[in-house]
Amino acid sequence: MDFKKAVKDFWYGKPHTAEDGGRRLGENYLPKTGLYKHREWRGVKDTFYYFHNIWMYNYLHMVMDVMKYGGLVNFAKGVWRYRWVGQTYLPVLHWFDRGLEGMRGEALRGSAWHYRAMVNATIYQFMAMFNADTRLHGGKKNDAWYHTMSMKETVWGGMFYGWRDKFKAVALEMIPYFVTCHVNSHTVHNYIDAVQSIGLPGDPCPMCQAEAGLFVLDDVPDYSPFMITCNEACDGSVGTAILQDWFNDKPLYALQMPMIFDDPLANKFVQKDIEKCWKFIEDQTGVPMNFDLMCEYIERQNELQKFEWEKWEVAAKTNSYPINGVAQALYRIYQSQFGDLPIWHEVDGHVRKIMERAVRNKTNTFPNTRHRVIAWSCAPLYYSNWCTWAYNTWGLNVVINMDSLMFDMTIRTDSYENMLEDVAQYHMWAPMRRMAVGGIHHIFELWDYMERFDCDMVAMYDQLQCKGMQGVHGLFEDEFRDRNIPAFWIPHALPDSRTVSRAEIRRLINDYMTTVMHEEPLDPSLLELDDDFTW
Amino acid sequence: MRDLKHLIYFEDLLQEANNELVKQAKAEGKYALGYTCYFMPEVLLDLPGCFSVRLRAPRCTSPDIATYYMSARVCHYGRSLFERALEGGFNFLDAQMATETCTVTCRFQEHIKPKHLDSVKDMDVIQNDKFFCEFTDVPFKNTEADYEYYHDQLKAHVLTPLHENLGIDVSDKALKEAIKQHNEVCKLINEIGDYRKLENPTITGYEFHVIQLVSLVCPKYLILPYLRETAKEMKTRKPDEKWPFRCKVVLAGSENDDPDFTKLIESCGAEVVCDRYCYGAVETRKPITIEKGETPLQAIARHYLSTSNCPRFMPQDEMRARKQRLADLVKEYNADGIIVVSNKFCEYWSYERVIDTIVMKRDFGIPVCSIEKEYINTASGQLRTRFQAFVESVEIKKIQEGK
Repeated sequence: MDFKKAVKDFWYGKPHTAEDGGRRLGENYLPKTGLYKHREWRGVKDTFYYFHNIWMYNYLHMVMDVMKYGGLVNFAKGVWRYRWVGQTYLPVLHWFDRGLEGMRGEALRGSAWHYRAMVNATIYQFMAMFNADTRLHGGKKNDAWYHTMSMKETVWGGMFYGWRDKFKAVALEMIPYFVTCHVNSHTVHNYIDAVQSIGLPGDPCPMCQAEAGLFVLDDVPDYSPFMITCNEACDGSVGTAILQDWFNDKPLYALQMPMIFDDPLANKFVQKDIEKCWKFIEDQTGVPMNFDLMCEYIERQNELQKFEWEKWEVAAKTNSYPINGVAQALYRIYQSQFGDLPIWHEVDGHVRKIMERAVRNKTNTFPNTRHRVIAWSCAPLYYSNWCTWAYNTWGLNVVINMDSLMFDMTIRTDSYENMLEDVAQYHMWAPMRRMAVGGIHHIFELWDYMERFDCDMVAMYDQLQCKGMQGVHGLFEDEFRDRNIPAFWIPHALPDSRTVSRAEIRRLINDYMTTVMHEEPLDPSLLELDDDFTW
Repeated sequence: MRDLKHLIYFEDLLQEANNELVKQAKAEGKYALGYTCYFMPEVLLDLPGCFSVRLRAPRCTSPDIATYYMSARVCHYGRSLFERALEGGFNFLDAQMATETCTVTCRFQEHIKPKHLDSVKDMDVIQNDKFFCEFTDVPFKNTEADYEYYHDQLKAHVLTPLHENLGIDVSDKALKEAIKQHNEVCKLINEIGDYRKLENPTITGYEFHVIQLVSLVCPKYLILPYLRETAKEMKTRKPDEKWPFRCKVVLAGSENDDPDFTKLIESCGAEVVCDRYCYGAVETRKPITIEKGETPLQAIARHYLSTSNCPRFMPQDEMRARKQRLADLVKEYNADGIIVVSNKFCEYWSYERVIDTIVMKRDFGIPVCSIEKEYINTASGQLRTRFQAFVESVEIKKIQEGK
């Protein structure tokens, strides 16, 4: 036994290398489960950091957040009533483990803070739902019910800033379906099956199917007197919104998002529609929209955007960006879609310190990077952490992704007119709309972003049921070939892990890296795993 | 019944997009303008000097190249149109007046559009130097504000490019002339279609489907004489002594430009007495009226938004009202049930079909047969079984009700 190496491995963790003596993360798993035999040894410093500052810290805060936002009784009632929370609360730290596997140093710290923010935002929302939910309070419409607004998850939360002092705005499906299926990939199958059981074919977007299935199974809290829906981002979203309305049967405002959003006429039209939406809310609540309050929260959100731009600069121009691909993608879309929350600012403060330290020290946060990758189109929700695996296995460092780039703007607050114009623009640049199912010229902005973020490879998500992206599949093939850009496809069905399993996604990437790129894995133990049955 | 005089000629006109009358109009110097959706007002494309062609891809069963570009997981209709375009079948078009009203037809139109971008190649699909493609944005609601927006969109993205690129007269006078011609087509089609309301209809669903389709795909001024003659012929047409069908149905649903599908339903004993689907006559053949104080374009904008039953309309009252309108059609046409059809991969109609299947039966007591089909129907055996079973169930219901 090499005693010196053993001590070094104990102190620093085994090196990330294909050579003998390198770490073999795949050996940590129980065969055919995707569960750990034992936790990962990351060296003394990082293991203790993970245990205390991530694992313990987050478990503790998960309890504290529940207490802070409504108490254990409401939480327990919610867990009992709704399968999506019961099935996902405990595996949360496993979700951390999956996303942060193999991370070390600043990358571990920066990424973990993003996870913490998402957990807090999630608890804030489901507790807001439970506090107001008539189903958990004997059918009674309490004060919270009258002071909570509900909207479709594709409606930007900032639309309701003007009532923030008196009302909470919580998206109907964001937690029950979207967030939970990241944590537990099995939760959502039930909802997809439910909507298909009433006759919906299997081919529409599975995200929309899951959103509709929640209503078919009556698994959505009743926490608001009315609903704001939206056509964003595609035909399936429109169908879902309509099906939901038949089940929901509450006063509804359908907020429009023009499909041709670059048209100058469209912005003015949307402004009018947003004002009508605000009028609808005023009529429903009896409370006028507070412009000053709206501006106050927009300014706070602008701060978040400005820091995001700083992060992009570091990601684009240095090797010291301390956020991994999955943390970057999930945090960014969550934050920009939900709108302002205190936790985002708190976490950005922590991340700023980590990032500035990494830049100052010229720390190479992903030292085994072989390729700087941009991920394009919509990601598999049940395997958003594929990029953690790809870095550990192949040195594929996903620097940026399409979802992060969509809300690329601040909103002016110097006048009502400017504010409204920018809010309309932000609304129209909503998730998926701008680049996935927006005009063809937006989809192919990929090349500009590749250059901007100094990427040499594309991970092309292939959402098998997204009609918009499927409709340009061949053009991408042609362009990749003509431009001689290495690109691999990741077929998936958003939340539905049964269509293309995680193992299948890994196999396709493995095949590409060996047969096209002729590269050897950094960690061969991760090449093949059977994790179909795990969360 | 005695065969309609022009039926075989009409059937021939449907064999390809660039049919005899299209060729004739082109030879006469008229511009051919393609479109795919109801929300692109055909009346605007029928202004003097040009004519509308609602695109179809008849007999396209294997869209191989289009499938490479669009994958096999999108609507067969969009793929078939693109395949036909790649084959050169739409080279006669001088412009494509596009809408992004459903994703896949949008993609088809984006593919054929000369884009002039560095980021993605032009496929140079339509071999016509004049060809251009312009998109119009269509709202999801039908309020006054939407009429206004739609009006502005039509002005900016239909009338202006037609005038600037092709020199088309887009004055109010020209619009009124186009409306007049459009209304005459509507009047004739409705006159012919109303025979389906008779107890023993003197026209079959198939025949009407063919007639309606030729009115969409041929230059109006060239098809009108044939429609006039057919309408006249219908006045004296005698029905069969014994009604050859077992029940009457309203056919509702997504894009359907395949008369053989209607024929398949009728061969199973269900006469299609009303066509409430994309390419059907219920909306497209409603005459346009210019209200007092309206410009022709305002009237057109209002007309197309207020008459549509498209499932992309999202206001709560509208999504409920269109169920009532469907029930009203059943009553108006003395139908016994509804066949709701969605094309495979059509997301709008996949959802709407589910809702129709539940709501029409639950709230209106109307039997519903819910079908998913391909653009070009190849699964006739399976569908036949479904239709036959539906006809039998309707018959049993009638017996139980003592009718």
